[in-house]
Amino acid sequence: MGGKSKSSMFKLSLVTLLSLSLTLAGCGGNNNNSAATKEEGNKPAETAAGNTTGSEEKIEPFEISIFLGEAGQQPTPDNKIYKKIKEETGASFNFEFLAGDLKQKLGVMIAGQDYPDLMTANTQLTAAGAFIPLEDLIEEHAPNLKAHYADYWNMMKDPNDGHIYTLPNYGAYNGKMSTTYYSGPAFWIQKAILKDAGYPQVKTLDEYFDLLVKYKEKNPTIDGTPTIGFEILNNDWRNWGLFNAPQHLIGHPNDGGVVVKDNVAELFADKDYAKQYYQKLNEMNGLGIIDQEAFVQNYDQYLAKLSSGAVLGMFDQHWNFQKAEDSLSTQNKIERTYVGLPLVYDTNTKDYYLDRPALNLNNGFGITVNAKNAVKIIKLMDRMIQEDWQKVLTWGIEGEDYIVENGRFMRTAEQRVNAVDATWKLSNKADAWWGTAPKMQGYFADGNSTDAAAQPEEYKAGLKPYDKEILDGYGINSYADFFSEPGPNPVAYPAWSIDLVEGSDAKIAETKMGELKTKFLPKAILASSSDFDKVWNDFVKEMGKVNVKAYEDRINEQLKWRFDTWSVK
Amino acid sequence: MDEILTEKKVNRHPKRKKKQPITWSLIKNQRQLIWMSVPLTMYIVLFAYVPVWGWTMAFQNYRPAKAFGEQTWVGFKHFKFLFTDDNFLRVLRNTLAMGIINLILGFMTAIILALLLNEIKNVLWKRTVQTISYLPHFLSWIIVTGIVATSLSVGDGIINVVLMKLHLIDSPILWLSEGKYFWGIVGASHIWKEVGWSTIIYLAAIASIDPALYEAAEIDGANRYRRMFNVTLPGIKATIVILLIMSVGHVLDVGFEVPYLLGNGLIMDWSETIDIFVLKYGIAQGNYSLATAGGIFKTVVSVTLLLLANWTSKRLGEERLL
Repeated sequence: MGGKSKSSMFKLSLVTLLSLSLTLAGCGGNNNNSAATKEEGNKPAETAAGNTTGSEEKIEPFEISIFLGEAGQQPTPDNKIYKKIKEETGASFNFEFLAGDLKQKLGVMIAGQDYPDLMTANTQLTAAGAFIPLEDLIEEHAPNLKAHYADYWNMMKDPNDGHIYTLPNYGAYNGKMSTTYYSGPAFWIQKAILKDAGYPQVKTLDEYFDLLVKYKEKNPTIDGTPTIGFEILNNDWRNWGLFNAPQHLIGHPNDGGVVVKDNVAELFADKDYAKQYYQKLNEMNGLGIIDQEAFVQNYDQYLAKLSSGAVLGMFDQHWNFQKAEDSLSTQNKIERTYVGLPLVYDTNTKDYYLDRPALNLNNGFGITVNAKNAVKIIKLMDRMIQEDWQKVLTWGIEGEDYIVENGRFMRTAEQRVNAVDATWKLSNKADAWWGTAPKMQGYFADGNSTDAAAQPEEYKAGLKPYDKEILDGYGINSYADFFSEPGPNPVAYPAWSIDLVEGSDAKIAETKMGELKTKFLPKAILASSSDFDKVWNDFVKEMGKVNVKAYEDRINEQLKWRFDTWSVK
Repeated sequence: MDEILTEKKVNRHPKRKKKQPITWSLIKNQRQLIWMSVPLTMYIVLFAYVPVWGWTMAFQNYRPAKAFGEQTWVGFKHFKFLFTDDNFLRVLRNTLAMGIINLILGFMTAIILALLLNEIKNVLWKRTVQTISYLPHFLSWIIVTGIVATSLSVGDGIINVVLMKLHLIDSPILWLSEGKYFWGIVGASHIWKEVGWSTIIYLAAIASIDPALYEAAEIDGANRYRRMFNVTLPGIKATIVILLIMSVGHVLDVGFEVPYLLGNGLIMDWSETIDIFVLKYGIAQGNYSLATAGGIFKTVVSVTLLLLANWTSKRLGEERLL
């Protein structure tokens, strides 16, 4: 180096100069850009507002780009509902579906500030300032949306700054709710087992496992596949199969990672009533009831196992394994589809699985800062929430997708088959939009159900003979009747929708606990029964090291905030 | 390159081969060359040096929506979080262990395969073997891990079936639930995927060895193994050393896809790497600052390892990279 110093200094300075100028140029460019986009973001919104209010009749085509936080399939280009929307409102949609891990995808989008017009709500996005406040937009341009959410207005406000950023897709009910279909958490069991055992009343965890053990002994294989007694899914964010059962077993509703007693939240994973559940699973593992591969499988493998019909039971939420059940129906294995049971530890406990639907906070659409047509979008949503469009979106087109008899909406047998045909739906339903958009739930003004499956006539007509047999065996009208009628929700319910705030101590504690649970609970279940206590004690010790207090404090603080804000309407 | 071109262009000082002061006349003489190198320099500056500016994030509580001036500076807080976390030593151990296993196994198998391929006289057969062995390189890791998970499954995984048929085990082993197997599984998957591809460069190096050396060795009575050890291996030594130094710099990079896709709760203690840790507590929490701190740590360690390897090699009188 020494001898070359002069020339290399020269070279070095050249390089530095060049790089410096470039860096500066780059920085300058960036600043200009961001300033420019900010201005752009504001301007068209105003001009658009001016335009649309002036010429309401003229339909101007515009496209809305949408990111959906779920895997899905693109609708066909000639989809009749989207075509109708485009003809009557001018709006067309450009959907992007999630591929891979949601958090990662969002992380990348946030880092690049690269958002489409509309996105599925997520606290990560709200924290990053990706959404625009909607209150004023709604007040000004969307009287129907305002009416739709009137009762829920305060609940929708972000606890951190009081703005409304997202429009919950589910849980805004007008009047009564109908319950024939239960999509929440439960211990699920194959219908064939209940029939085989002569329709027993199954109330407790012990009774449930007794049934599984006996059935497995009698049927070591199902359609050639070895029988799996009890399946547990613990994969990525779908972790409730392993984590959530204990709170239900002591008669509490789904509050996520905590049990709320008298408005005070308490972590339950390391409590004795949780231990009782995992000890039972440990015992069952000793009997070979638990799937050996339960803890190494991913979601796809889980669905594949369920779809084979060889899995007798599991703890899960119905919507999470709906695909597997659809597949079983297609294979005509109705006896292998599942019934949800609200199990508890002992018969003195009243089950509380079925709850009155709570507003689905932190879900639904939010309009991003990049959206140029915010006003048009909110107006479109306002149009879509009106009854005529809601009917189109749920039931379809009268005469094509449903028929009306004496004012009641019904389906013909063929229409009923279509309604569950995934391929048909891609070209005849606007499900990609509808799933996340604000929607009416309950009943239309004319008394018809907003959900075809919940229309009593439809539910009865749609039942398979096998289901009728089971329901008659129990003397009930629908599978939801297994569950106790829920009382009114506690004001601040449910705790699982509380935003822990990204990167906060509470969130880090939650991540850590999730990690420990994922690591120790499977170990405890798979341990020999004599080692169970040792593993459990290690688990409790490790959990003790986590900042549980930060986690509980944040939840309690938010419960109190909800209690104060939500009860005063 | 530069120097050779310099020599040809400016031939006024034929004796001073190495040191030539840069003067304006020289620059003028070489202006075409300089212009030609501008786009490349810009490319490197723009994509390799400018992003280093992002390292400032590691010392802030970075929030994406805010401008640079509005960020709060927190000093070494994120590094502290990283280094004081209970899990950090464990993930560091896993990263290094898997990296080193992959490095050593990868090297040995690639060199051995190259030597063996070189001994095959039938060209068609040689080509066939080579093609088959490097095809897996073109599969993405997500597919490879899918294949690995399926072959290791208890029900009908080929590994368990074969071992059972050979009566080496009595009952199927749940490979992916035992931490002690995990590093090995990762190493084996890497070899399966990359070994064929890695041999290509060695085969090229072997092809450049002077055939006269082999003939001379043969006349001297060296058998096949002698020729392998005393002609082929020394002939490709330079290549091996250079590649080794380069790979040492990448030891920490091996640990994301495979452990992430094959790992699960039961073997977390063996499967979690720095990258996964950073993903969990950084990116997934919206804590880009922590993620950046993790990235800086990795870069520093990698550069240190690279320099160390280079220095060692120089000390031993071998080829070196820098």
